[in-house]
Amino acid sequence: MTTEKGSASAADEPMVVDDFVALTYHDRLPPETVRFADGLIAGRIIGQRCPQCRRVYVGGKGFCAMCVVVMGPESEIDVADVGVVTGYTIITPVRYYGQTKTEPFVYASVLLDGASSVLGGQEITGIAIDAVREGLRVRAVWKPPEARNYEGHSTRGWGSLAGGIVGFEWTGEPDVPREQYKEFAV
Amino acid sequence: MPADDIAIVGWGQTPSVASTDLTEPQLCLAAVNDALAMANIDRHAIGFTCSGSCDYLSGGPFVFISNLEAAGAWPPISESHVEMDGAWALYEAWVRIQHGDIDFALVYGSGKSSPSDPALLFPQQLDPYYLEPLGLDPASLMGMQARALLDSGTATERDFAAVAARSRRAGAANPKAQTLPNGAGESDLDIDALLAAPYVRAPLRAHDLAPAADGAAAVVLATPAKARELTDHPVFIRGIDHRLEPHQPGVRDLADSPSTRLAAQKAGLGANGGGVGVAELYATSSAQELILRAALGLGPDVSVNPSGGALCSDPVMATGLVRIIEAAQRVADGTTRRAVAHAVNGQVLQHNLVCVLEGER
Ligand SMILES: [Zn+2]
Repeated sequence: MTTEKGSASAADEPMVVDDFVALTYHDRLPPETVRFADGLIAGRIIGQRCPQCRRVYVGGKGFCAMCVVVMGPESEIDVADVGVVTGYTIITPVRYYGQTKTEPFVYASVLLDGASSVLGGQEITGIAIDAVREGLRVRAVWKPPEARNYEGHSTRGWGSLAGGIVGFEWTGEPDVPREQYKEFAV
Repeated sequence: MPADDIAIVGWGQTPSVASTDLTEPQLCLAAVNDALAMANIDRHAIGFTCSGSCDYLSGGPFVFISNLEAAGAWPPISESHVEMDGAWALYEAWVRIQHGDIDFALVYGSGKSSPSDPALLFPQQLDPYYLEPLGLDPASLMGMQARALLDSGTATERDFAAVAARSRRAGAANPKAQTLPNGAGESDLDIDALLAAPYVRAPLRAHDLAPAADGAAAVVLATPAKARELTDHPVFIRGIDHRLEPHQPGVRDLADSPSTRLAAQKAGLGANGGGVGVAELYATSSAQELILRAALGLGPDVSVNPSGGALCSDPVMATGLVRIIEAAQRVADGTTRRAVAHAVNGQVLQHNLVCVLEGER
């Protein structure tokens, strides 16, 4: 490019600077999450029971957010892999980067027997999606032991089952009356 | 209208560590529960909660919301958050409690620096056209500041090393501080050893720069009446103020801190250090401590950073609040009747807060 003083020149052209910012983070999994993840690989769902209010959190954070007391390994108990659907929606996939689904599917909240917190975003199988309903009894569908791993765990959330469980299937049992789970229905 | 003398009646801080696998809410919970236990009040007595943190440090979206679980946000509470050091959260709570309709306020600050690289992260704080693309990191800016101080003729590299040696010796006795090498003392031998280390950003060496850490701190504020009910030795905030300089470091005299001087004046510190026995200063370089001492008019008789200061532990976003805690501790235990705490936000002493604390004995 040539430039001339006094004429339309490089000085009049906008200067464009590309500045791409990338920030990399290295996370360490919290101890509760490591124990929960190891539990799933071993075929167990570990809950944390608050020593004060007795609520049982699945995917415990190491403390009860209601009582603000610490929950350590001594508070951990096994929770059943059967429960009830407390809420759901049917998602019609739209195309976006990373979306692998093409057909409508169910995202449900599942309250495991003995737990006080629901697991959100669970897939429900073994039943037509337009028959899914609140109160449905469901059972975890486990990955084969050799396929279980640390998938889904991060410091960004708690209670991912993806390392051990692919979803929940209808047990065929009668529905659970709403009275029995409405406290936790979301 | 003169401000009421709000009191600090409880505090807590986690140990500062280079890296923890605990989550930031877990760090906050430990600090908050310790502060409430020391104040000996139920969390439901808290009328206002304010926290300071920065999600960019750990890269977790809305961590500051998760942190709120440490305050016990049920039944619903009145709360606020500042994307600043916890010392500014204390300032907001101090303003809020002046309204006269609440008895207690809870303040906490927290940060996990370990997941990210400060050298990559903090240039994002700078102007995006001229400075951020240079990758100008905090250590480089502090190096330029230290150079400006040397060029002013008021300090030497040996003075920097003496600050580092004194801080490390003090920090070695502080169970909340990180354990650092060369904590032996401030003899000529120790200072010679520090000066033999290579530069990180000339004229600063590793010991001249604050080591970023993971940690959290919490404070409970109370009205004077409630404070006297709870303790025989309340620590009162006699004055608190913060002042801001331009964002662009190039337009400032980096060898001086006029905003600290003005904040101290507005907080009622008084001339020549205002008779304080202890000063806890948030200096992220040894040179900054010398600049702050001069701005506050602190003489050689003042005990500066008896905790070891940020040169031993810099739990970013909590460090300023820790300075207030460490100063309050020394008023409460009778080490001094009057102390000053300082906190900073932004790069190379851009934004400074000064808090004057006093006891009654
Ligand atoms: Zn509880």
